[in-house]
Amino acid sequence: MDDPLIVVTLLLVAACATAAVAVRDPERQALVLAVLGTTLAVLFTVLQAPDVALSQLAVGSALTPLLLLLSVRKVRRRGRKKDKAR
Amino acid sequence: MNGWTVAATAALAGGVGATVWGVATGPLRRRVVAQNLSTSLACPSLLLLAQGYDRPSYVDPALVLALLGPVGTLVFARLLAEDLEKDPPKAPWLTYAASGFGAVVVLVLCVVGGPDRAMGKLLVTGALLVGGNLIASRALAGGIAGSRHG
Repeated sequence: MDDPLIVVTLLLVAACATAAVAVRDPERQALVLAVLGTTLAVLFTVLQAPDVALSQLAVGSALTPLLLLLSVRKVRRRGRKKDKAR
Repeated sequence: MNGWTVAATAALAGGVGATVWGVATGPLRRRVVAQNLSTSLACPSLLLLAQGYDRPSYVDPALVLALLGPVGTLVFARLLAEDLEKDPPKAPWLTYAASGFGAVVVLVLCVVGGPDRAMGKLLVTGALLVGGNLIASRALAGGIAGSRHG
């Protein structure tokens, strides 16, 4: 009965996931991942699983990008130190 | 499907679809704005879905999204500050339009639902959504001192 809604959200998730794979720069990838987390939460709500959507939101919208950006930062800093040492 | 879910479908296909396009292409300043807008467009859609399915408990994901979405944008504003300083993102009209859409949805749902406890929850969600998005877009544009020195 809600077929168009499910199709629209599935298409959004598919487009976003493809973009997350296709984008090369890790910082931009983190941005796409944050949007992917939000669209996945909407998909879970449409599929009548709001509890799964809650945990997806908690993990996907803030925690995953934070971890990614922090690790990218640390790796870059270490690279800079090595460059200076040479 | 009823009118509420049709409205949610339209908001998802038009609004969130546009933000997915915006976040996947273009310069960094456009991507962070699109990420911020995706929150402020997905949250009203979740509220519309809760009304369409006639399940008041479905408002909870919208409340969590209104709380955590701006937090995620602030994370980007803080950790990408060096890159954003070179060309700061400025899209005030888009931000105001998305916030206005959220406020309109919350007000319509309040009028339809009538005054009870659910209405308080809706109002809290709307206030968090609009306030959080305005603060997050200010932080992205470099308006908050301290977000520049990462």
